[in-house]
Amino acid sequence: MIGVTDISQRRKFLADGNVYLPHVAVIEKVIEESPAVKTFHFNFKDEKLREKFAFESGQFGEYSVIGVGEAPFCISSSPTRPDHLEVAMQAVGKVTRALHQLGVGSEIGFRGPYGNSFPLDFLQGKNLVFVGGGIGLAPLRSLIWNVIDNRDKYGKIDIVYGARTSVDLCFKYDLDAWEKDDSINVVTTIDRDDGVWKGKIGLVPNILVEAAPSAKDAVAIVCGPPIMIRFTFPALEKLGFAPEQMITTLEKRMKCGIGKCGRCNIGNLYVCRDGPVFTYAQIKDFISSEH
Amino acid sequence: MAKKLDKKDVSGLLSRWQKDFAVMVPSKDGNTTRMALWDGQDTGFLEWYRNVTVPPKEVFFPSQEEMFHFKKDEAGHHLEVTPVDESKRLVFAIRPCDARAMTMLDIVFKDGYEDPYYLSRRKNTLLVGLGCTRPYSSCFCTSVGGDPSDPSSVDIMMIDLGDAFLVEGITPEGSDLVDRTEGLVDASKADLARADEVKEESRKKITRKLDTKGIEKKLLSCFEDEAYWQEVSAKCVSCGICTLLCPTCYCFDINDEMFKKQGSRVRSWDSCAFPLYTKMPMENPREDKWRRVRQKVCHKYEFFPMNFGVIACVGCGRCIRSCPVNWDITRVLESVPAVSGAAAEKKK
Repeated sequence: MIGVTDISQRRKFLADGNVYLPHVAVIEKVIEESPAVKTFHFNFKDEKLREKFAFESGQFGEYSVIGVGEAPFCISSSPTRPDHLEVAMQAVGKVTRALHQLGVGSEIGFRGPYGNSFPLDFLQGKNLVFVGGGIGLAPLRSLIWNVIDNRDKYGKIDIVYGARTSVDLCFKYDLDAWEKDDSINVVTTIDRDDGVWKGKIGLVPNILVEAAPSAKDAVAIVCGPPIMIRFTFPALEKLGFAPEQMITTLEKRMKCGIGKCGRCNIGNLYVCRDGPVFTYAQIKDFISSEH
Repeated sequence: MAKKLDKKDVSGLLSRWQKDFAVMVPSKDGNTTRMALWDGQDTGFLEWYRNVTVPPKEVFFPSQEEMFHFKKDEAGHHLEVTPVDESKRLVFAIRPCDARAMTMLDIVFKDGYEDPYYLSRRKNTLLVGLGCTRPYSSCFCTSVGGDPSDPSSVDIMMIDLGDAFLVEGITPEGSDLVDRTEGLVDASKADLARADEVKEESRKKITRKLDTKGIEKKLLSCFEDEAYWQEVSAKCVSCGICTLLCPTCYCFDINDEMFKKQGSRVRSWDSCAFPLYTKMPMENPREDKWRRVRQKVCHKYEFFPMNFGVIACVGCGRCIRSCPVNWDITRVLESVPAVSGAAAEKKK
């Protein structure tokens, strides 16, 4: 039920016919989301590829700082807004730190799109509950904008989003836009009182239970740090969500992005090949132990 | 039609094949042994060869290789794919277990997205198998679907008849080569009968047995049994040799190497035994050794069968022979608690 499961059927945009060779892309805009997170807007150098390239919400790419290395991130923009691609990342490792040094006009490498995607067919007609933490909103916002751009196909939308402190909240411009939209219920929270924040204070799973979105005809889509994901599933169960009604997108160390280099598995499932989007039903046997 | 080759004529045969192929034979390399280009003379391996220490997977999937290179100038970055190796090669005397392992790597490297480097080498290489007559005590191929004389994964199969080899073409390419190779004589009925005896004797020489029935279910049921995995991983030193020398292990790392304004993207063998293998900046799902050992065992005997219907182990015994602390996968698998045991109870 999750996206395209037959990986041989996935769209491929190979550079020079070689799956490991990145396409060169150019950064067009950089947004400082928080002290540690930046969003990059980019476009392929090859104009034909710009026309041709297509992806689905939830899919990811391998991003290169050529000469430094490669790392995987979900595409954070929506395919309904194809003017450019967006990716958001925190500067925490070798590649992300190097990427954060780059500005408008700099070149990066991109391979993808890889992985499955959020199951739009399954989500249509349902009420959607988005639960995000920190930078975990990045893959969710691709779907959220996708849903907003096809608003009549979906039911109610609840968004519960939190970060450690108010400065760590990402995509504030999106949160503002969604709050203004009467058809969307947005709850924003921070983990601890920082003296500035006027809104809710508390951990995402707790605030979620407090907001108590109905599980009836609903699907929850969850993304955030592993610890948040781990506590959000039981919170959703408490609200009456079945494992099949909980969807998440996971992150692991990945090198190849295409199910070969071996390291991103959870049990027999490879996050890059069989995910990154999973239902809780698919991973619950392994997740308590390895995620 | 089966042919026969006198062992004295091996050198002549390899010389003839060398005209059309880069011929690789079991070779000594310092303190180790591996498949390497034949020097045109030495057939000493006929005496010492039981199996090579470094599995022949490296012929197709080298421990390190450049995938592409790049440079930067005023116009930006220029990326250029390293040409895939299309040379015609022939691997002589590969063991049936190692050849069978290649069919498992084929699954991974073809799956969904084709790996051009590996598949090009595979396509352009003929495998000439040699049945085992002197297996190691650590060998257990017959417990995991193999056989010391199994011809199913090679192009040409040879059986050791003592002073000669029985030579049979298996695939169309292999049969074609056997047919057009000079110096092979037709095998007699007695030769074929002798070959059957040799195969039977070889099978009996594999004395290490492992019951793999239901192993997938057993491993699934004890996945969360930390105490069990702590116990079986206690002596492991995470050196990774069991994975690096495993003919079915394929994990790799990808890194950029720079020199001034140019560089290359290189892939190299990696191992699930290393904590860095899964380390992300903020967390590491397999920092604990017992989780890594569990991953190694479960990947081969549970996850790979779940995904591709075959156990990713050919019973070559290298992991047992090369382990510095005598960690033994057959003993570990035998000690997996039964499904109805304590682990299953605990899981509830």
